[in-house]
Amino acid sequence: MTQLYEGMFLLDNQAVRADWAQAKAAVTDALAKHGGVVRSARRWDERRLAYPIRGRKRATYLLTYFEQEGAATQGLRRDLDIEERVLRYLILATQAIPEGELEKSQAELEAGFSVPPPPADDEPGAPVEEARAEGPEGPQEGGSVEEEVALEESVDEPVDEDESSEKEVD
Amino acid sequence: MRDSKRPSRPIASRHCDDPRIDYKDAAYLSKFVTPQAQILSRKRTGFCTQCQRQLKQAIKRARHLALMPFVG
Repeated sequence: MTQLYEGMFLLDNQAVRADWAQAKAAVTDALAKHGGVVRSARRWDERRLAYPIRGRKRATYLLTYFEQEGAATQGLRRDLDIEERVLRYLILATQAIPEGELEKSQAELEAGFSVPPPPADDEPGAPVEEARAEGPEGPQEGGSVEEEVALEESVDEPVDEDESSEKEVD
Repeated sequence: MRDSKRPSRPIASRHCDDPRIDYKDAAYLSKFVTPQAQILSRKRTGFCTQCQRQLKQAIKRARHLALMPFVG
């Protein structure tokens, strides 16, 4: 039995800047993959986040209404968790599509519609660089800890040697 | 002389059955949180049990989507 769902998806502004259609398709394709029928999908808003998510201070909200089998949502959630362009999502069962939603969604599909580019106050590229910088640092930090332990052990040994040498001197 | 223990006037005495309780309306929901972003009590909001529950759920959903802060 299909159920009508309301889905709000938080999209990465970098993906929106690159291509809004592809960023939107990341969500709609995932819905279609799991048997969802998208009734409405539109850009709800672009705004500053109340707290940073994955280093992003702003994000674009995509509001969708879709029909899907109840059992398929688990697989959908798993795919959305993996999808990097989706920062966060909220899927709720709903009874009906609000008035005006379908019209707004249709207006976005028309040829003349253009998504305003997100403001550049969150410094595009910076979070990715930080993430890249954090990636290699992880193993390096682990390696450095091991090195430190090895150094401590190696430091201990010379101390003994020094003590032994001191004893010898004495 | 005013009793200091007397509860202050509720914010939303006639807001029950208000369709505006929606997680997307963060500006409206922010009226029912403290400056530290804590949800106000039922005594303070003036909502009935069901509406207070809807309010709590909506604020928590708004927090999840970073529309509202967890900590003010």
